[in-house]
Amino acid sequence: MTEDRTPDPPASEESELPVEEPEEIAPAEPRAPGSSVGGGWLLVLVLLAVAVVADRVSGGSLLPRPEPNDQSVSTAFRALAPGALVLVAVDADLGTYPEIRPAVRAALSDLLGQGAGLAFVSVSVEGRAIAVAELQRLRASGVSGERLLDLGYVAGAEAALVRLTTSALPGDVEGPMASAVAAAGGGIGAFDLALLVGGTDVGPRTWVEQVGTRLPELKMVAIAPTFARPELEPYLRSGQLTALLATVNDDAAYAGTVDADTAPADRPAGGAALLAGILIALLVVVRWLLTALPRLRTGQAPAPELDEG
Amino acid sequence: MRRSLPVALVAFIGILLLLDFVLINPTLAAVADVLLELTVLVAAGAALAGAVALVLRHWTDLVERRGDPPGSVVLLAGLGLMVIAGFYPGSAGAGDPAVRWLVAAFLAPLIAALFALLFIFVLRALRRGVELRPRQMAVMLTAAGIMLVLLLPIGGAPGEWLAGAAGWALAVPIGSVFRGLLIGIAVATAISAARILLSLDGSDD
Repeated sequence: MTEDRTPDPPASEESELPVEEPEEIAPAEPRAPGSSVGGGWLLVLVLLAVAVVADRVSGGSLLPRPEPNDQSVSTAFRALAPGALVLVAVDADLGTYPEIRPAVRAALSDLLGQGAGLAFVSVSVEGRAIAVAELQRLRASGVSGERLLDLGYVAGAEAALVRLTTSALPGDVEGPMASAVAAAGGGIGAFDLALLVGGTDVGPRTWVEQVGTRLPELKMVAIAPTFARPELEPYLRSGQLTALLATVNDDAAYAGTVDADTAPADRPAGGAALLAGILIALLVVVRWLLTALPRLRTGQAPAPELDEG
Repeated sequence: MRRSLPVALVAFIGILLLLDFVLINPTLAAVADVLLELTVLVAAGAALAGAVALVLRHWTDLVERRGDPPGSVVLLAGLGLMVIAGFYPGSAGAGDPAVRWLVAAFLAPLIAALFALLFIFVLRALRRGVELRPRQMAVMLTAAGIMLVLLLPIGGAPGEWLAGAAGWALAVPIGSVFRGLLIGIAVATAISAARILLSLDGSDD
């Protein structure tokens, strides 16, 4: 569905095509002083805040969590030997990361609980900011520095991914994990598993295309926003992705299976806040749909409303 | 048929990297590695050039008192703060605790808070869309409503049914449209690249 915003060419007299009259859009009325935030939106924010607080107070058990349909993520993690090297490729973006953050944090807790060491790398700028924040959070929650490795940011997107396959270690990193990676060749092939945290620009698809084709033996588990699911599904079915979490439901189900004691400082969000947000969005969608329907019958534009929420 | 130097260079490098992908040859791999290093350096250089251009633009705006002076001040101050944290004597650069703190405790939450407003703005945009294009918006709202219902994170038998239906919807109808788009974009890109390389559209000279 595309919107053509270019002006229509003038219709000739011979033209038999019906010409749609341009719609008159009444200008919005000036807002009353102090009405910059409507009561409806205030109610929405209050409802969301109540849901978040209720979730926190109840420890995320306010609503029954969805049951996991697919155990492949847990299975992939359980298959790792203690002390396994896991590459966490954080290329999420700040716009969609809140959707997958509970699952990502649960996965990091899960991997640490399995005794794995985590090495963070990013090829996108926003991903780097998120990786730094997650590393900081893990360090603050008491995870040993010997189990964390910061491989930093590598510019060049796809080119960077190809380079990482042979050389992933920056010159200034040291420690037992860095030594283990160096001893195994220094590239991504040194890792037992890659956890791909995707976003809008660089995501698991780019990793499969650039790294998976060069290192087909590397197991890759992906966590991505819901919109990325259609493009990642073929890679999951072909086995190029070992496992995938890409819907809110799957994320919530997986997070519910992870022992929260692994990272008590940051429990995954419960279902109530997510449910409240989706229900509010659904109510607004239905409301505007009901507003649009009479217009379809009469062909008249509804009067623009003041900011009522 | 005239060919420019950049086009010939692009063709040569592209073919070389393609050969490195399909052939195992140490010499070829070494040359490809050098090219990749150059690509990474060019990308980093482009980012640096972008940052310098941004600073110059906002500095000029401030000096000439045009644009949005408070915004320019905030941008320059934030950039300066980050540069100081990464370059002060004894700093560990991007891995310095000061840089990490600025990113983790300041930058990331700030941007995340801005993006959180998307929820409100998208819902408000729906109303405007209904006013402007009711037919198209009716279709879009119906699809959005169905997907929102399917993605409800609830437990029990209804939750399982919804999750199954959501998985099917994402994998089959939406997935096929998505794959069609991707294939179409890939074919169009390949055709466009071939036309440029073969100088068929005459845009390179």
